[in-house]
Order: sequence, then structure tokens, then C-alpha cells
Amino acid sequence: MKLIAGVDIGNSTTEVCVGGVLPDGSIRFLASASVRTTGTKGTPENVGGIRAALETACERLGRPLSDISLARLNEAAPVIGDTAMETITETIITESSMIGHNPSTPAGAGQAAGTLIFLEDLDKGMPGTPYIVAVSKAHSYEETAGILNAYQETLSIRGVILQADEAVLVENRLRFSVPIVDEVRHIDRIPSGKLAAIEVALPGQSVRMLSNPYGIATLLKLDAGETRAVTPIAKSLVGKRSAVVIKTPHGNIRENVLPAGVIHIEGEHTVSVPVDEGAEKIMGALAEAGKVRDVFGEENTNVGNMFRRIKTGMADLAQEASGSVRITDLLAVDTLAPVEISGALAGETCMEKAVGIAAMVKTEQLPMERIARKMRREMGIYTTVAGVEAVMASLGALTTPGTQLPIAILDMGGGSTDAAVITEDGRVRTTHQAGAGELVTLLIQTELGLESRITAEQIKRYPLAKVESLFHMRLENGSMQFFPEAIDPRYYGHVVLLTPNELLRIEEDLPMERISQVRREAKRKVFVCNALRALAAVAPEGNLKKIPNVVLVGGSAEDFEIPEMLTEELSSYRIVCGRGNIRSSEGPRNAVATGLVLSYLGGN
Amino acid sequence: MSGRPSVFLYTNRPAPDCLREICAGIEEEGVPFQVMEREEADLDTLAWEAASESMLGSGIGIRGREAAMQMRSVPKGHNVFEVRPDSDKEEASVRHAYDAGTDRAEKDRLPGRWRILGANSARAVKKLPFKE
Repeated sequence: MKLIAGVDIGNSTTEVCVGGVLPDGSIRFLASASVRTTGTKGTPENVGGIRAALETACERLGRPLSDISLARLNEAAPVIGDTAMETITETIITESSMIGHNPSTPAGAGQAAGTLIFLEDLDKGMPGTPYIVAVSKAHSYEETAGILNAYQETLSIRGVILQADEAVLVENRLRFSVPIVDEVRHIDRIPSGKLAAIEVALPGQSVRMLSNPYGIATLLKLDAGETRAVTPIAKSLVGKRSAVVIKTPHGNIRENVLPAGVIHIEGEHTVSVPVDEGAEKIMGALAEAGKVRDVFGEENTNVGNMFRRIKTGMADLAQEASGSVRITDLLAVDTLAPVEISGALAGETCMEKAVGIAAMVKTEQLPMERIARKMRREMGIYTTVAGVEAVMASLGALTTPGTQLPIAILDMGGGSTDAAVITEDGRVRTTHQAGAGELVTLLIQTELGLESRITAEQIKRYPLAKVESLFHMRLENGSMQFFPEAIDPRYYGHVVLLTPNELLRIEEDLPMERISQVRREAKRKVFVCNALRALAAVAPEGNLKKIPNVVLVGGSAEDFEIPEMLTEELSSYRIVCGRGNIRSSEGPRNAVATGLVLSYLGGN
Repeated sequence: MSGRPSVFLYTNRPAPDCLREICAGIEEEGVPFQVMEREEADLDTLAWEAASESMLGSGIGIRGREAAMQMRSVPKGHNVFEVRPDSDKEEASVRHAYDAGTDRAEKDRLPGRWRILGANSARAVKKLPFKE
């Protein structure tokens, strides 16, 4: 029996499908496999992953690799390395310093202003001057409380900042009551002699004075100009249980502010739009431009640098001059990004409005031929480039039970969202759009302020739970799950991800509700927007209601909630929409590879 | 036995510095606690009985310089956390590392580990993640 392989190289995974041609000319599907794509999609480095996938599939069949007589590659060209993403914001400069954090146990409540002084220097304190005392962890809580009690007679002590986690211990031993902020790691960076304001929130509340620009102005006696400069600090302290703001007038912080910039879209019409007008305006401008030839960003701005970096990076990969690399689609999404505040003593950030952008990049050449040549040379397998990706995906999708022509597919991958419609008479319309799973990961990472991209990827993929005791956890849908035995105390009280094999602990201190809200919003913003955009581009007369059914395929269709979101959204257009089940067995994966094997029949 | 909700500490001739640090850890977290001297018993039993009899379901056993934290319905002997000073030598070497100025070493020092054990018995009551 002659073996034929379909090979689909995606941004994230390489999928293969192996079929045998029976004597009567029909095809029997025998095995499939999926591995991580090696190198950037469309470059000869992909061959490593292709070989691994084909070997896996052949192993499942119990046949050697050399039995494959023909491999068929998807023609994803001329798109290579589809998207690049970045959140665009501006840098914030302030002249004041601050500490804003959530120690688990601050003590006292209320607010005060005073001059900063270290515990060691209290003997030099002036009677009548209000002081806020900074204490390094070299002093024990008993010693600290003893010294403060002794000086309370002569000096006016209004607040205390501790390096150690001992606020309650100190407070319980003081004969007077003041706000105490603890766990300030970089106590040595506190400038003594400067005026500062301190606030500890009442139980169950967050700070009120220091999260309000006028509150800071009141405590630190600021004029209107200074109050304006302190606004980002107030904003970053919203929701904190304790805070310190230090006035450092005439600070030498003067940084170069890089503006977000303007996007110039060249299409049937040329349109320009400033990034800070937000995602809706950018997408409006994109629609207005019609079919996009290329996109540029204003020189020396954040967005300009981003586009230039994408183009030169892609040109290096494709070994072309960067002038021939063009951006043909954009997806802009409103988001929030943590922006570092110069002047923060502990790297505190402030959530600023930002725009996440994914760009679709095209080059002139057809790099798939290079991959085919390399496969012929290195693996000795006769390889052809065989058909447009979206058409192959549609053919594969048609093996889903319950489908028929005309059919629309929505291929949601890692980098791009592609759509195709095939009518009964075999006419095909396709579109490639920027923005898919990886943009969702980026949005989750920035909005939650996660350090690791991997954590964001896992949050995207798995449902959440909170471990409420050593014996049970509450899932995000409200149900409870019990453990047969006490689990490792490392999980106690933590938010965890339910992966198939284990519980993954989220290190960041974030409530479960916030994580799930950000996750769902990111998916909705990217996939619902892109699905409607893509389907409108391929629908007859641009009318979504003329599409009877939509099959979701690609890696992101495997997601545990994206298909349901789209089913819900598209039901208002009376479209039957659901996750594909390729060959009744593969789920939404392997559509293109299956289509490539099937199309061999048509080709003969 | 007092019925007030609190973390129970069942002790058997505890080392004063050990007891002081554990109590400081609980006090900083703002959870009430009671210390009760018990008859001769092993560490596992002290901790397990303290957790079982505490209305909050969290207890600590202390014997000399050894301490163990337990939570109700965890089997005896499977202490949630314990601090057993292996030898004075280990303590000395860790203190040396601390003097060299590393943050990590401070937590590893015996008083720091006692303090964290105390804090964790309180955090078990508050349903907060444990300190490490």
C-alpha cells in the first residue's frame, strides 16, 4: 500500500497525517502526529520538526520512514512568521518617591505626615517637628518599641516604617497609636530628612488619602503643579492597604519620553491614526483603508520601533531586503499594561491604558519550496507544495460528521486567524488575519503583570481553582473537589491551574476572580473580534447571515472556552458553529494535514 | 480547657527562644493563641493533639528546640511543617551565611524558621498561603 503524508507547518505546531492509497484508489487514514514547530514557520529549520512528526506517525504504524512515497506541504507562503505583538504605552515620570504595597499585616490605622528620620538618629530629633521613623531589621521589635516609647515623651512621632515583618508586634508594645507600614525591603533607599506621608487603611478598606491626588496635596502641602505631577503615584496606590509617599522636590529625574506614535496604513486609501486613540479607532482606520498594502509607524515612537523591528527581523529570516517585507493586517486590542514609575522605591508600577498590536507580515518569496527541496535532499522523501492552507483546512474540516457544502472554516492558530468559505460549485474565498492565541497570551501576561510568558500560556489553557484547605479546593465554576489525602502544604491557600497531570501553583498574589476575568476578556477581545472580521471578509456579499455553518479548527479551537464563546456570539447571526472533529477522531487538530492527503485524490 | 478560639501550643519543656519566636510569628499575624505545658509526650503527639483540640483546628507542638505544626484531620506524624535543629554545627554554618549578607540565609536561621512556623499556624486559620 502506497503511503502519502500531509504536512502542515503552523506557528506553534507541525501536524502530519499519513494515509494509505487502497487498490480501488480510495484513501485510508492510518496515523497522525503533532510536534512543536522548529524554527520560524516557513523557514528550512522546520524540517527538523517535520522529520520528528513523520517518525512518530510511522512508529505508530510500525513502518519505516522510507515507506512514505509522497509528502505534501501546505502552501502557507507568502506568509511567514505571521505575527508580532507588543503593548504600546508611554513612560511616566514623576518627581516624588513612594512605597505602595500590601504587606499582609500592617498595623495601626490612619494617615500622617512628617519628616523622615532613622531610629538611630532620634537623639538628634527636634522637639515639635513631626517625624516618621524608619527602622531597619537590625532592630528587634522589642528594642524598636522600647526606643520609640522612650522618645515619645520628647518628640512627636507620627508614623513608623519597618523593614521587618513586625508591624503588629511593634504596635502591641507601643504606648501610643500610629500607622505602621512594614515589609519595606529597601529601607536603605529612604531619604532621611525629606517630608513624607504615611497611610494605613482601616481593616477591610484600602488607602483613601494617598490614592487621591488632593489627599497627597493636603498631607504634603503641594501646589497645583506638584499635585499634577503626583497623580500617577496616587493612581498606582489605588487598592493598596498601606502606602508611603515621599516628597523629593527638584528630583533629577528627567527621562526621554517615547510617545506611542501614529500608525500610517497604506491601502486603497491612505489612513493615519494615533495609537493612543485606542483599538476601536485603529480597527476603524484599518477598515477604512480597504485592502492593506503596507503599514508604517511614525519614526522614533514606540509603534514605529515595533514595526521596524518586525520588518527587519522578518527580512533577516527570509533573507530578503526589508523593503520587500510588508505588513498586510493588524489587530489592535485595548488592554492595561503595568508601567514602571521612575521614583518608585520598590519598582512599583501603575496600570496604564495600552494597545496590544499583532501584525501580519508578508514577504515576496515562496519559502515553502526551500523546505520541500530540503526534505527531498535530507530525508529522501518526494515532496510537493500542494495547495492553499485555507482550502486544505476546509477539505479536512469537511470530514467532521454533520457538515456539508457550502462550509466556512475558521482556523484559529497561534499567530493568525484564517477563514475560508467553499461553495457547492467549489469556489473558494480565503483571508488571513493577524491575531490569535499568542496575542491572548500576551494580553494575559501584561494585564496580570506576570513575569513569565509560560505562566500566561498556562493560565490561557487551564481552568482555575483555589485550594481552600488541605483536603479540598473550590473550582472557578463554584463546585468543590476533594482530595483523597492531605495535599502538599505548598498549595494551601493558593490559586492553582488544573492541568491534566498536576496542579500548577500561581506564584503571583492575584485573586482567582481577577485571573479568570482577564483570561476570558483577552480571549473574547481577540477571537470574537477576529472571527467576525474574518467571516465578514469571506462571506458572500460580506453578509454573515449567508454563511450556514462554521467549523472551528486549529490549536485555539481546542481551548476549553473559546469555541463556546464563538458559538454563543455567532448564534445571533443564525450560524451553526462548533469545534471540528476531523475524521471523527482528531478533534479540531490536523485539518490541514488531512486535507493535504485528501487532495491527492483530486489531483490524480 | 478554655473554649476560646485560638491556636493551641502544647509544650514540653520548650526552649525559651523557640517559644518566643513562635509566639511572635502568631502575634504578628493577629491570631489569638494559648500555650499549655503538657506531660511527657513525643513531638508528633503534642502537635496532633494541639491541632485536634484547638477550636480553629491549628496547633503546634514544642519539645525543647523542636517544633511541629499540625492541622486538624491530618494524620498524626504527618506534620504540616516542622523545625528540627539537626546540629549546632548546621546552625553555625547558616549563621555564617547570614553574616555574609544573604536574605535567604536569614529565613533559614533557626529563629527565622521558628517565626515562620508560628506565622504559618496562624495563616492556616486565615486560609492564606503559607510562608516559605
